[in-house]
Amino acid sequence: MNFRKNVSTLKLPHYKSTASIEPVRIPIPQEVLLPMSPMNKHGATNAEPVVQAGDHVYVGQMVGREKDRGSAHVHASVSGTVKAVEEYRMNGARALAVRIESDGKQEPSPDLRIPQPTNLDEFLQCVRDSGVVGLGGAAYPVWAKLSAAQKSHIQTVLINGAECEPFITSDHRAMLEHGDLIEKGIELLKQFLGSEEFIIGIEKNKPDAIAALKQRFVNDPAVKVMELGSVYPQGAKQVLLYNATGKVVEKGQRLASLGVIIINVSSLIKMAEYFVTGMPMVERIITVDGSAVKEPKNLIVPIGISVKDLLPYCGGLKEEPGKILFGGAMMGKTQESLDAVILKATNAVVIMDRKDAKATEPSPCIHCGRCVAICPLSLNPTAFDRAMQLEDDEQRAALLTDAQVKVCMECGCCSYVCPSHRPLAATNSAALSFMRSWERAKKEGGK
Amino acid sequence: MDRPIMSAGPHIHSGASGRRIMLDVILALLPAAVAGVVLFGLQALWIMLTCVICCVASEFLFNLCARRKQSVGDLSAVVTGLLLALNLSTKVPLWQCAVGSVFAIVLVKCAFGGMGHNFANPAITARVFMLMAFTSTVAGGAIPAAVDAVSSATPLDLIGVEGAGLPTIGQMFLGLRGGAIGETCILALLVGFAYLLLRRVIHWQTPVIFIGTVFVCYLIATGSFSTALYEVLAGGLVLGAVFMATDYTTTPITAEGRMLFALGCGLITFVIRRFCVLPEGVSYSILCMNILAPWLERWTRRKPLGGV
Repeated sequence: MNFRKNVSTLKLPHYKSTASIEPVRIPIPQEVLLPMSPMNKHGATNAEPVVQAGDHVYVGQMVGREKDRGSAHVHASVSGTVKAVEEYRMNGARALAVRIESDGKQEPSPDLRIPQPTNLDEFLQCVRDSGVVGLGGAAYPVWAKLSAAQKSHIQTVLINGAECEPFITSDHRAMLEHGDLIEKGIELLKQFLGSEEFIIGIEKNKPDAIAALKQRFVNDPAVKVMELGSVYPQGAKQVLLYNATGKVVEKGQRLASLGVIIINVSSLIKMAEYFVTGMPMVERIITVDGSAVKEPKNLIVPIGISVKDLLPYCGGLKEEPGKILFGGAMMGKTQESLDAVILKATNAVVIMDRKDAKATEPSPCIHCGRCVAICPLSLNPTAFDRAMQLEDDEQRAALLTDAQVKVCMECGCCSYVCPSHRPLAATNSAALSFMRSWERAKKEGGK
Repeated sequence: MDRPIMSAGPHIHSGASGRRIMLDVILALLPAAVAGVVLFGLQALWIMLTCVICCVASEFLFNLCARRKQSVGDLSAVVTGLLLALNLSTKVPLWQCAVGSVFAIVLVKCAFGGMGHNFANPAITARVFMLMAFTSTVAGGAIPAAVDAVSSATPLDLIGVEGAGLPTIGQMFLGLRGGAIGETCILALLVGFAYLLLRRVIHWQTPVIFIGTVFVCYLIATGSFSTALYEVLAGGLVLGAVFMATDYTTTPITAEGRMLFALGCGLITFVIRRFCVLPEGVSYSILCMNILAPWLERWTRRKPLGGV
């Protein structure tokens, strides 16, 4: 049975006070630290450093080379001297990182050329050279995503400008300021992927961006600017796909097999920028907000700058940080200290004061059904919660499989609405990693 | 200096709490409680106080003896006590009320693990237990002080008895009839229902489907609109449908499951009232459906987006 028309229904407070403020380019910091991982998540594959301490580097020069489809090239975001290649710890994962001391000149690499691809393969190679990854959070290299076009025809490109997370306005600002690059990006995809339909999905809490893009593409019938409801998680892959096209990626299917790819609007802009300037991804717009930040705003910062170094441009902090988040208030990842550095996929830094950061003690589930009603994927989070309380691994795995935990995308709606303050989303992640190790153990045991 | 907190998302919360939900239910029950005191006199108040105090005290003592974390602060014991009292008439002696309260909290709720773990509604199960243990006082209802000439039996006992002096539909709506403390004043119950809807504590579907099913069944069985309406206003139907069939813990977690639950309650109530010797069927119907709830939950599972 499915009575539901709209899959996402959660109305969140927006906290998007920075939406009306133009991003400010900050002066180049004295040093940057460039981790070989594009994101702050355990399990992402890393690039390999190709410079050594003492080397001189230019802006846009490659300092880390990709190892496989999951990693992306890393380029120097400042010109100067490599101080060290060291280990950087992020959320339990470790990655090598290149520390560069800026010489203040910001000299671009003399090797940079404006790319002139003539076919799909060359185009993909150029995107690969740009080092652009999915900037919505997943940080999957954009070229790898686009390479689906080598196998199947991509009829529709869904451009994700939903930006449903509270606090974040970096995509919003990018859409307002880089309409020309969105146009350029669409031209490139039309030319090389042969896609016929482009849907730019934007939540209706960004009427200025919707109006500006509608105006820009008024004469292009292939581009449709779609106004989406301001409901979380509107920007999640499965939700956006369903709400924008009515399609669903069924179990075992890939998005590309439906003839669709979804690309974050900022990723598209960064990709297009490379084809205009020849400069790989070395900087980005980020939103700096949260109750502990004195002057929340959007900044244009070099990749690899530490939070500490960018805070002075937001008026500093009101008090000691209670919680430091990379990303929004729903799916953002907590950071250990202000020394954490901005990565390619870091779209926001949210620093909460101690009062906001404090969590409420969970109490037993009262079976109210709010999590079941709100889950955009129609899962039952209480079933995962119950399963994780079981001691027996076999039983637990059976229950989790039955409840289809693998469908969960960890959006956090269940935790948000739970009156018993149960950490359902965290339990779901734990359940997902339990299932991964369980299956691995089973596979090995079977051999 | 404290280190920043490390935790999994989400990092904001809706602000909903179990305690607030329970408080809302208590507030929604207040009109019916006040109406009960107005209609049946101060004895109604003593019964309510006895039940609430005994429920809270027995939960407190149980937690103490079982070395469980103290849970009386969640207010759910207050709700159980109040609901049980509203389901009893002023004929019931206070000591029986106390026994019923202890039964509800200790045997039906705490023995199964406390809030959220009981499979049957504590107030309803206690009422059914009392109906069997103390049949002479619990069966039937007391007569409101404001009513003089109506017979001592409740309207449900009288339906079908030739020439019995039944209260009018208007009197039924205001509660001028025999019955339990909180079940007679339909107006007060509807005010509580509206409040719960406004606070989004419950959905409209369960009460409306439950009451609607009873109404439609009677309409078909008797062909009389007024009889069907009378049946809906009589007994504990509105109280049960609004406050007991919407209990979170003992009903299915899915929206569709809850609709089936309400439908089942309505059908069983109709069958008991019409074809069994018992005059009232609301409590039994909810109790039966409580047992079926886990199955309804399974049968109404949705296919997840991207799942099977």
